[in-house]
Amino acid sequence: MKSNTQQTPKFGPLEKAFRFIGVNRIHIHILLILVSGVTLAPYLWALSTSLKYRVNVFTETPQWIPNPVNLGNYKEVFRMAPFGLYLVNTIVVVVGILAIQILTMSTAAYAFSRLRFRGSEGLFFLFIVQMMLPVHATIVPNYLIVNKLGLLDSRLALMVPFWATGYGTFLLRQSFRQVPRDFEDAAMIDGCSGLRFLYSILLPMAKPTLVAFSLISIVTHWNDFFWPLVVTDSPAVRTLTMGLAMFVQQESGADWTLLMAATIFVTAPLMVLFLIYQRKFIESFMSAGIKG
Amino acid sequence: MKRKSILSMALLLVVLFSAFPVNAQLVRLTYYYPVGVAGPLARVMNEYVEEFNALHPNIEVVPVYSGDYDPTMQKVQTAVRGGNPPDVFIVEISELPTLLAMNAIEPLDEFVTDEFLSDFFPAFLENGYSDGHIWGIPFQRSTPVFYWNKAHFEEAGLDPEKPPTTWDELREYAEKLTVRDPQTGEVIRWGVTISGGWNDWLFQCFVRQNGSKLIDYQERTAVFNSPEAVEALEFWVDLTQNLKVAPPHSTWASTPPDFVAGRTSMLYHSTGVLTFIMDSAQFDFGVGFLPGKVSYGAEVGGGNLFIGKGIPQERKEAAWKFIEFLTTPEMAARWSRDSGYVATRKSAYEVPEMVEYTNENPEYLVARDQLQYAAGKMMSPAFQRVREILKTALDEATAGRTTPKAALDQAQTQINRLLGQWLQQ
Amino acid sequence: MSSSRLNLTKTRPYLYLVPSLALLSVFTYFPILYSTYLSFFRQNVFTLEPVFDWFANYAAVFEEPVFKIVVRNTVVYALGTIPITMFLALLMAILLNEQLGWIRDIYRVACFYPTMIPMAAAGMLAVWLFNPGIGLINHYLKMFGVPTIEWLYDMKWALPAIMLTAIWKNFGYFMLIYLAGLQNIPGELYESASIEGCGFWSRLRYITLPLLGPTTVFVVIQGIITSFQVFDLVYVMTQGGPADRTNVFVYYIYQNAFRFWDFGQASALTVMFVIVLLILVFILTRFMERRVHYEV
Repeated sequence: MKSNTQQTPKFGPLEKAFRFIGVNRIHIHILLILVSGVTLAPYLWALSTSLKYRVNVFTETPQWIPNPVNLGNYKEVFRMAPFGLYLVNTIVVVVGILAIQILTMSTAAYAFSRLRFRGSEGLFFLFIVQMMLPVHATIVPNYLIVNKLGLLDSRLALMVPFWATGYGTFLLRQSFRQVPRDFEDAAMIDGCSGLRFLYSILLPMAKPTLVAFSLISIVTHWNDFFWPLVVTDSPAVRTLTMGLAMFVQQESGADWTLLMAATIFVTAPLMVLFLIYQRKFIESFMSAGIKG
Repeated sequence: MKRKSILSMALLLVVLFSAFPVNAQLVRLTYYYPVGVAGPLARVMNEYVEEFNALHPNIEVVPVYSGDYDPTMQKVQTAVRGGNPPDVFIVEISELPTLLAMNAIEPLDEFVTDEFLSDFFPAFLENGYSDGHIWGIPFQRSTPVFYWNKAHFEEAGLDPEKPPTTWDELREYAEKLTVRDPQTGEVIRWGVTISGGWNDWLFQCFVRQNGSKLIDYQERTAVFNSPEAVEALEFWVDLTQNLKVAPPHSTWASTPPDFVAGRTSMLYHSTGVLTFIMDSAQFDFGVGFLPGKVSYGAEVGGGNLFIGKGIPQERKEAAWKFIEFLTTPEMAARWSRDSGYVATRKSAYEVPEMVEYTNENPEYLVARDQLQYAAGKMMSPAFQRVREILKTALDEATAGRTTPKAALDQAQTQINRLLGQWLQQ
Repeated sequence: MSSSRLNLTKTRPYLYLVPSLALLSVFTYFPILYSTYLSFFRQNVFTLEPVFDWFANYAAVFEEPVFKIVVRNTVVYALGTIPITMFLALLMAILLNEQLGWIRDIYRVACFYPTMIPMAAAGMLAVWLFNPGIGLINHYLKMFGVPTIEWLYDMKWALPAIMLTAIWKNFGYFMLIYLAGLQNIPGELYESASIEGCGFWSRLRYITLPLLGPTTVFVVIQGIITSFQVFDLVYVMTQGGPADRTNVFVYYIYQNAFRFWDFGQASALTVMFVIVLLILVFILTRFMERRVHYEV
């Protein structure tokens, strides 16, 4: 099983090809700089817009550096809607989802990786299929079910459909499989088996996978939109993405500086975390794709 | 000595405690409201709610801004389905049949008096009645009006004080006002914009101007492809496809900023954006009736106040107090000044601040004056689908994808199928 | 050796699965059955309580002229975004796999950061950028002499605008997955291949692409999963318009359920949607087993 260390081969597979065509490293860098510029542009432009005064938005040529700088938009955004509350709600929901996900993932992954029982393949397949049936596909019945459970318009409703995760179970099962039998036998002799084994030995050994999955789960559910749109109404329960959607309707295209400020604010927490912990984030998302 | 001080302490405590009213009776009301036009109206509404709450210490209205008309209706429906309807709410007036079908609202007959109702403009009351009962009280009401850029008129050699009053004049002026790039022929400035988003509402007005109508709720008829309607759509297509003086598509939210930015010289939009345009435009602009054909014509629009079904009596009464508060002549006048919506009551225009304000800003009287030519807005059950059918027909025709007749014929077929059971009764 | 201990060993695995399976049943599998059941009942604004009506809902779905447009939009969207995003991602991954020094981190962050923002926020950025009058995109296009495109107001260009936004948002994520896959290919394979005289294209065809097989399958799966998020974009950017040209299947379901309040038709549409998805799952898992070359 390959490890996650970044091995770049000494001769990139394309290097010779490029040299042959006459393309050298400088050209690659130029291309990459162009691509990076294009991908960065939307966000930077939004940031720039959010720092302008309303009248300065309608210039003939785009002004990338705002002059004068206006921090008032962010204050105004806060005044118009309780974005602080939305932030708190988002954090509560995201943590609530992750906590239970780890519980369900670990028990299921343990069963699939270390125990043998009838129907395990079929049952595991159910988990795999779930990966391809996100809540978007079954939004209508899910809504009706949550309604019947009396959970409409609660933060719980925002968490519940995500607590079982085929993806997480799959990843963790891979990870658990790598712990050799000897470990388990030794532990059993010491009287540590079952759940205790799972929580005191297996899970700690799977820490990298857990960290990777946690980051993916947090990013995914921080940015949930369709499901919260359908099951929540009141401001008390709104998350950041919902707050942004409502704010957009309130402003209805009249004041771009406010709209961009709201957008930047909603995306800022994750963005800042990402910039600080880039390596970890990138490693996590990369490791998710490797199948052994 | 000791007994005296204890007594006075006790007396002091009693006095102190009686100074704080015991609020065991606090009635909490959930209030869903939409904002359907540009402008900081959510803030204005919150101010009104705060004032009401201060005036009524035993009632607390909890305002829930719910987005545009569509999301608000969705939220109301969700709440009703969940068995927990909002106590008081505003939704778009054409939703009345749907609200009735869902059994979502209380009839308001027990609260209204003839005197109260007679002060409202009749055109606004039309959409509040069904089956002889009154269900909704007019609040944020409007008609579409015609905005024009006086500076552009002067540039084009037109009299800035004389807007077009007929379809033919509109076409003529639009041709003069449209500015095209000399090299590419691309339109830089549209002569006229018939706003998208609620273009179904605007279309209804054109049909009225041509002497016909689309749906009659009381009579239960729905004719979308009458010759008058086809002629109206052909006029639109003429503007967007043949003459290219109007954009084929736009959104309700984008066109007022477009007007303010000078990208269109004439605009069809709600009177509800009047305050926004007034605050933002850097040029002189005029507000007038929609140009007519057979006559002037319009259909009213906006939202009514409703009370949720099945809420306890004390909340119902508190909700009515709130509705009363919002619809006094003074509040109606104030709301009109703050937004541009028409004050729903005739006496509102006699409130001193209003008289003064409208003298300085006669634009705020235009929609009211147009009311004499305005009818109730079309409504029916399953109205959201009806809207979509009409809008699709309009959008396809103005883009030149189908002919007006074909578009409206197909719409008629779909409407017949959709409203079949309702129409036959 | 009591019999109760034997029973416990037998049922233990299933006990571990109970939490997950319970949740999966309630929120994934039962909803499918529930939708199927509801799809045979008429339930809308006219008929508040469900009334059994055979296949009426399915017939109604096909009778709506908009349905054809919705299906076409969805297919165009899927075929347009997934392959292009994958190709772009693979290309960038190959480039980023080269020796580039510390600046490589910057390129990676630039490509990947869109994954951190919600699709709805990406939609907001797009609305601003695609604004026909003062948007950044039209401004730069004008510099190249391209005539003004009305983008979100133009029936021809609204869906492409949404597709471009989705590609921008997702390609960084797919790129990372490909990068991981590429880095798993041992350099020795390339070395020995070039010693044996294999040219660039042969190496690509016989080493790189086959060994990226499982990665590609995973990317396709992610592509399908992320394509559902187009709902967020449509909701924020165009609400299905103009003239339903951006009305995609998942948005159409939302419209039927929560705007038209027609749960009968919405359920029928859900059933159709899930069937297509399950067929895709089936095809992909078959493909995975048969043709993909796993590393030894």
